[in-house]
Amino acid sequence: MNTRTFGLDHRRIRGREVPLPPRWMRRTLSIAGFLFLWWWAQAAGVPYFQFELFPGPIETLTALVGVEAAGEGAGVVIPGTGMAVTGYLAGEAVLAGEQSIYFHAFFSAFRVASGVVVASLLAIPLGLLVGTSRRWEDYLYPALESLRAIPPVAWVPVSILLFPTFQLAGVSFTTAVIFVVFIGAFFPILVNTVEGVQDIDTEYRRAAESLGADAQQVFRHVVFPAALPSILTGVTLGIGLGWITVVAAEIVGGNYGIGYLTFQAYRLLQTDTVAVGMITIGALGYVSSAIVLWAANRTMPWNEIEVNQ
Amino acid sequence: MSRQDTDDRKSTDDRKSTDGPLQNGQRPGSERAQGGIDGEALVEIDGLTKIYDPGGADVLAVDGLDLDIGHNEFVCLLGPSGCGKSTVLECIAGYLGPTEGEVRVDGERVRDPDPSRGVVFQENRLFPWKTIGENARFGPQMRSAVDDDRIEELLGDTGLDGFEDAYPHELSGGMQQRAELVRLLANDPDIMLMDEPFSGLDAMTKELMQEMLLDIWEEESRTVLFITHDVEEAIFLADRVVVMTARPGEVKEVIDVDLERPREFDMVTTEEFTSYKERAIDLIHDEAERAMAQAEGQ
Repeated sequence: MNTRTFGLDHRRIRGREVPLPPRWMRRTLSIAGFLFLWWWAQAAGVPYFQFELFPGPIETLTALVGVEAAGEGAGVVIPGTGMAVTGYLAGEAVLAGEQSIYFHAFFSAFRVASGVVVASLLAIPLGLLVGTSRRWEDYLYPALESLRAIPPVAWVPVSILLFPTFQLAGVSFTTAVIFVVFIGAFFPILVNTVEGVQDIDTEYRRAAESLGADAQQVFRHVVFPAALPSILTGVTLGIGLGWITVVAAEIVGGNYGIGYLTFQAYRLLQTDTVAVGMITIGALGYVSSAIVLWAANRTMPWNEIEVNQ
Repeated sequence: MSRQDTDDRKSTDDRKSTDGPLQNGQRPGSERAQGGIDGEALVEIDGLTKIYDPGGADVLAVDGLDLDIGHNEFVCLLGPSGCGKSTVLECIAGYLGPTEGEVRVDGERVRDPDPSRGVVFQENRLFPWKTIGENARFGPQMRSAVDDDRIEELLGDTGLDGFEDAYPHELSGGMQQRAELVRLLANDPDIMLMDEPFSGLDAMTKELMQEMLLDIWEEESRTVLFITHDVEEAIFLADRVVVMTARPGEVKEVIDVDLERPREFDMVTTEEFTSYKERAIDLIHDEAERAMAQAEGQ
């Protein structure tokens, strides 16, 4: 049993109080435990699952980063040691192609960023309109609600048909993928903006009106700031969904990007690259959400938002 | 002021309330604005009736209420919860339109909220996204007429200097209510409409806030309509206590409180104060029971 008294963590074993390891250690153990389970499942095998087809944590980590004697070609040479850092993190090409993992990561991140930015530019004003005006809510919301019922990934085939592909500096841009990200990010931003506006306590509006604010001032000084935490929660959720949709869209229609990379690696049976791709997607999603949350909470010193995805 | 005087007044008020606000055919105005220092009433409420319509079932919240509030008068509206006190305030503020009857302020019919009628809400409604300083400046800023010296002075008077850059959530409940008062006063309203502003505060803070409010009121000569269900608070603050019936809200009786001013908090233990209090409690007790029966019936 674990009890918490005055911030001290300890547990009782047969009447004796035994201190728990400090928090950072417990948290590190969590990661280490996961890596161990992964290693053990792969090394010992688990009935029913075909773990032998999947790489273990050590192979995956060496695929990511390793140190070898500096030889021909690969790796970043550490001066004066005759050694070189290798692996995807050192810029090694993936899929026997020319591009590094950074190139693919940049591509995916660019798609997520542009999809989310366009979604925000449209969904926030639309949400403010629908949230403040009953009339516009009647005109717009039923159609938007029915489109929202379609999972973003289901838009992939249609968007590949609808959107052209550009050639730019020898790289082909598939705008279809950005559109799918846009669809994925649009609805959480829209819904959170509408709800943010509609949930504003009437008394804040009344207070502003009784202090002499006209409709425009009420919007600027009350409606928008009051809805802002909810709007930014929507944007953060939108980024999360953006990463989900970008992977799905890239698997089907991308020529580059982490989703494309991961699926191509699977086809070529480069399973360590599959695992590296999964880890990269997770890390990028986590980092981008964290950046937006940090920026959001800096913009709003009065309000701390938390997003559980 | 002797006990006899207040009893006399009681009989006059009794007569008025038995007349009934609806049968009262004569035009209200100067006669009923007895507490008004300047004679003419600032706020005139004539046969105010408000019916709410929550999902088809009509609820009669206020039924033909008549009330005048004089210039620089401090009036407390005392009644059990759910008696329509807040509805009256919302009609004066211009948030709600009456179903029947009308509310005039300075002779003009109230249609919309206006900065001349400032409101303090039950739960503080400082804008959480603005600092105390920004909140205090809000009203003048809307009219591009910020007077920084005045804001400084008000913040200083209420012990809030040094908290200009703090956000409301960083302040205690009492400080938040003071800041809301500052925001209102900075706007220089003709009448302050206060809806149980101190009901969320602890007893000590509440006393201090009441004294501060009276200080401000005495110094700045303003009209106040103060809503409360706290009998002692009503008598301590008001020139006149308007006791309301349970829903539908009407004026049950008006108590003129002739306690000397400035009022000090030790007054509440005097015999004179106690006699006012007994009377108000008698009046409100039946209504509170009716209100409770209504609430249970729902």
